[in-house]
Amino acid sequence: MLPFRRDDLRLAVVAAGLALAAAACTGRISGGGAGATSTGGPGSGSGASTGAGAGTGTTGAGGSTQMVAGPQVLGGKTPEAVLATCKAPNPGRSPLRRLSNAEYRNTVTDLFASVPGIVSMVPTVTAQFPPEPVSLGFRNSGDYLDVPTLVAQKYLDAADAISTAAAAAPSFVTCANGTKDATCAAAFVSSFGKLVYRRPLTAADTAQYTALYQKAITSGYDFQTGIEWIVFAMLQSQQFLYRFELNSTPAGAYATPSPYELATRLSYLYWQSMPDQALFDAADKGLLSTQAQLEAQARRLLADPKASRLLEYWNEWLSLDALSEMTRDPKVFPNLDPNLPTLLQQETYAFVSDLLASPTGDLTTMLTAPYTFANGALAKHYGMTGPTGTAFVRVDTPGRSGVLTQGMMLAHDKATRTSIVRRGLEMRTEVLCQIVPAPPPNVNITLDDASQANLSQKQRLEQHRTNASCAGCHNLMDPIGVVFEGFDAVGRPRTLDDSGQPVVTTSAVDSTQDANGPVADPTALGQLLAKSDEVRGCYATNTFRFFYGREVEAPDACSMARLLVDFKSTGYNLKELLVGLTRTDAFLYREVGP
Amino acid sequence: VSAYKPFPKPLSRRTFLRGASGVALALPMLDAMRPRRAFGQTAPASTAPKRIMFVFQANGDQIAQRFTATGETTFQFGEFLAPLEPYRNDLLILHNLDKRFGKLPSGSVADNHEQGGSSLAPWPSGTGSYPIGGAMTTIGFVLGPSADRAIGERSLKDVPTLPYQHLVYRVGGNHNDIWNLHSHAGPVGTQSPIPPETDPYAAYARIFTFNNPTDAAAQAAIAKKLAKKQSALDLVLAEAATLETKVGAADKMKLDMHMTSLRDIERTLQSTTGSASAGMACVPTNLGTKIDVFNDDNHEVIGKLFFQISALAFACDLTRTIQFNWSGNTSNRIYKSLGMTQGHHDMSHDSSAPAFQNIRTIHKHLWTQNLGLYEILKNTPDGDGTLWDHTLVVHWNELAQGDTHAINNCMVIFAGVAHNTFRRGRMIDFMNKASYSDMLLSCFQYMGFSDVTSFGDSRLAALGTPLPGLT
Repeated sequence: MLPFRRDDLRLAVVAAGLALAAAACTGRISGGGAGATSTGGPGSGSGASTGAGAGTGTTGAGGSTQMVAGPQVLGGKTPEAVLATCKAPNPGRSPLRRLSNAEYRNTVTDLFASVPGIVSMVPTVTAQFPPEPVSLGFRNSGDYLDVPTLVAQKYLDAADAISTAAAAAPSFVTCANGTKDATCAAAFVSSFGKLVYRRPLTAADTAQYTALYQKAITSGYDFQTGIEWIVFAMLQSQQFLYRFELNSTPAGAYATPSPYELATRLSYLYWQSMPDQALFDAADKGLLSTQAQLEAQARRLLADPKASRLLEYWNEWLSLDALSEMTRDPKVFPNLDPNLPTLLQQETYAFVSDLLASPTGDLTTMLTAPYTFANGALAKHYGMTGPTGTAFVRVDTPGRSGVLTQGMMLAHDKATRTSIVRRGLEMRTEVLCQIVPAPPPNVNITLDDASQANLSQKQRLEQHRTNASCAGCHNLMDPIGVVFEGFDAVGRPRTLDDSGQPVVTTSAVDSTQDANGPVADPTALGQLLAKSDEVRGCYATNTFRFFYGREVEAPDACSMARLLVDFKSTGYNLKELLVGLTRTDAFLYREVGP
Repeated sequence: VSAYKPFPKPLSRRTFLRGASGVALALPMLDAMRPRRAFGQTAPASTAPKRIMFVFQANGDQIAQRFTATGETTFQFGEFLAPLEPYRNDLLILHNLDKRFGKLPSGSVADNHEQGGSSLAPWPSGTGSYPIGGAMTTIGFVLGPSADRAIGERSLKDVPTLPYQHLVYRVGGNHNDIWNLHSHAGPVGTQSPIPPETDPYAAYARIFTFNNPTDAAAQAAIAKKLAKKQSALDLVLAEAATLETKVGAADKMKLDMHMTSLRDIERTLQSTTGSASAGMACVPTNLGTKIDVFNDDNHEVIGKLFFQISALAFACDLTRTIQFNWSGNTSNRIYKSLGMTQGHHDMSHDSSAPAFQNIRTIHKHLWTQNLGLYEILKNTPDGDGTLWDHTLVVHWNELAQGDTHAINNCMVIFAGVAHNTFRRGRMIDFMNKASYSDMLLSCFQYMGFSDVTSFGDSRLAALGTPLPGLT
């Protein structure tokens, strides 16, 4: 059965210019940016931080600390007005970032791409890496990713397997004069070490590895063992596992990352992996110093097949990774394709990949597209005609509305039925970045009262909301969730709901900044959301969170304004928003902390 | 109604073999078969190490239905605790403890599920992105270590060669968040949740080697692997010491933690389980055919495997402290084998009689599974007795009761002979005048760490001392 994924209740941060009352789910939201009373970075005290550089955390109206994030850091001003005031760089915090599990896999894959047998073993040797703690809906938070004992042990095990296999591969080390000796090992340390450390090695770096090689030799082991030991140690070095940024010039509150550090920022931004040879070359030659050079690299990286790895952002944002836990009662949903979770994930990947490849791929299309991508198996599941075979191709789907109605979004339902509540919750948290509290005590959160057996889920929820303690939160979730009732719990269109009554999707959205109003169906909802600055700001906020690995905090006003101004000027183009990530202070500079 | 006998007459070996009690037949080392000491008499000091194992089950139970009769020695178990009856002489029931989360200022406390899930870590919560039940604010993880970690660290101080400070296991859940991370590394002031192991097969392979070959070639291969690991750890630790001087304070703490982890691993390199010096029960265990560890339908088997691994880790003296979790807090597992169709957490919000019947059924089921741990401990020889004699099992829950999210009227059960530290066969009603953190101090006391006189935020302590009346 599908467990109640509590991180669906995530992204719990208020949206642009809103100050939600601290009282539980009043559903009433006061407008205006003046309510930006407090900030509290997610990393305050997390992992290793005790709050250095994090927000100040003043007390909100309700006596509780409240997070402020995203466009709210603009303090109610327009992005253009904020940007006009930005002068000295203010990069915000730059917590030391450990590689996420996905980044580790990608990096090792690229590092050993030319060594036979290594790439294929990466999934196996990393399978036991513990999942990273979720923060802000993502698993790559710089504040929460550290190396507890279990993680260190798994790194050791992976490094052991990889180093053994790599050193045994005949093509792994080629010695200039054909002699496998200390000179050759030292050359290997320099060349391979640069890739592992993502910068040229210093004399001290090199010395420790040549000493390690000598230790192997003096212990009576051979050249191959010496190489194996070097690779094994390098893969456990903190300089491999974290992305260190140590350049400290110019002196002051902020520094400019070194060319290699910028190359690394670029490659992890777009490839979730290490720099390639072209980026190393550019760093070697000092060709990563101007905005134009950085932007040209950004576009090059985004055009590369390795950019498909940034689909990890959609994977985590839309909880596609939770699909693997989806189970459906076979009595209610007989003969489902056993690979349905994977098919639904691939559908969204294909759809987003197409948007990113298209010059016109924008947020509006992502939320409103009357088409999707399907292969033969998925088309059969949806009852569509057209696609056959295994490749995903574009299919028109009148009545659907971009990612909002893709199977993955509708598949966070219950084992036997749709969940209007969860669907509404996803819209509130993932698309609007609003807080929806977890259920409070003393409320019944099941809907299976036998006395209501003849009622539809919509009607039951309407009764539920006559209870004042339920109404506050459910007024946020249910009216949006109802709009999707035309799709069953596995994402197929339907005309009768779970209780056998005709589907009713007409509803009204409220408690948003600028997307309130009546909606007839998902298409109308998509149009409403696509025009909303609150939704656009939320999307930019999530982009900031994932790609910079932390929350948007008060010092990030200029970075956020830059992102939003550029997002708007490109017609909310998805790829241009990604390119724009290289123009912010948060990307171009690094805070030099205490 | 069975009459309670406070001082059961020791069973003779012959009586036992005749099968005087069907239950007894299943229990080869009944406590009643041992010579019984009068209370107050000093127990002969066992040289066996003291172990502690925290066992978690979720979503509270039903306060009013725990017992049909109270009274220190005359208590009677209610429906869902009834499976414990055969073990009552080795139980100490701590009733009506308060968690006192309300004493923490708002903004530094999560909702009772989340904060309660970290009850072993009685600290305020930091800022973060998790929603709080019924509130428009968000919260992060607790800002300090959990007792299992702190006890493990303290054990390491006494036994510098102890391979593992603690082990953390959870049944199910292939993601980690505030709803299922119950162990925390600290130090105080930092959020540092510890990921549990969820795969018993990998957990077994990680800590048990049982690799003591006698032929020279195999021994050389082991020596070579050891040299590889040791020399790499030396290099990485030396490099880390230099790196630490180049980063800011926050990043330095992150690197410090990593170095601690590397030193943890370094200690384990030298430990070879199954060597002649290890206990006689430290022998390989066959875990059987691999099953899907994330399939909730397999939770009983996965739990039992972790029980076996835990006992073996104790028997091999790889650790003194284990945190085991039947699930995360707020668990919405659907107990299909019990005929249920709704998630545990969903049902726990429902105050109706049928819902509570389901809650009782789930807990009765889990308590029955817990007996499997007792049996394994009783059947594992350890020094001058069994692991049951030398282990304190601490049963806990994030809540007292689910529908109200109550955090007073909490029940903790101490199980095991535990070096005869506590007078057992009793229920003590603390009437919410003692807290969970006071209870945790009693755990330190049991472990022999009398130098630990406080644990956690003082606002979460009611007495500020170990619980009175336990010994």
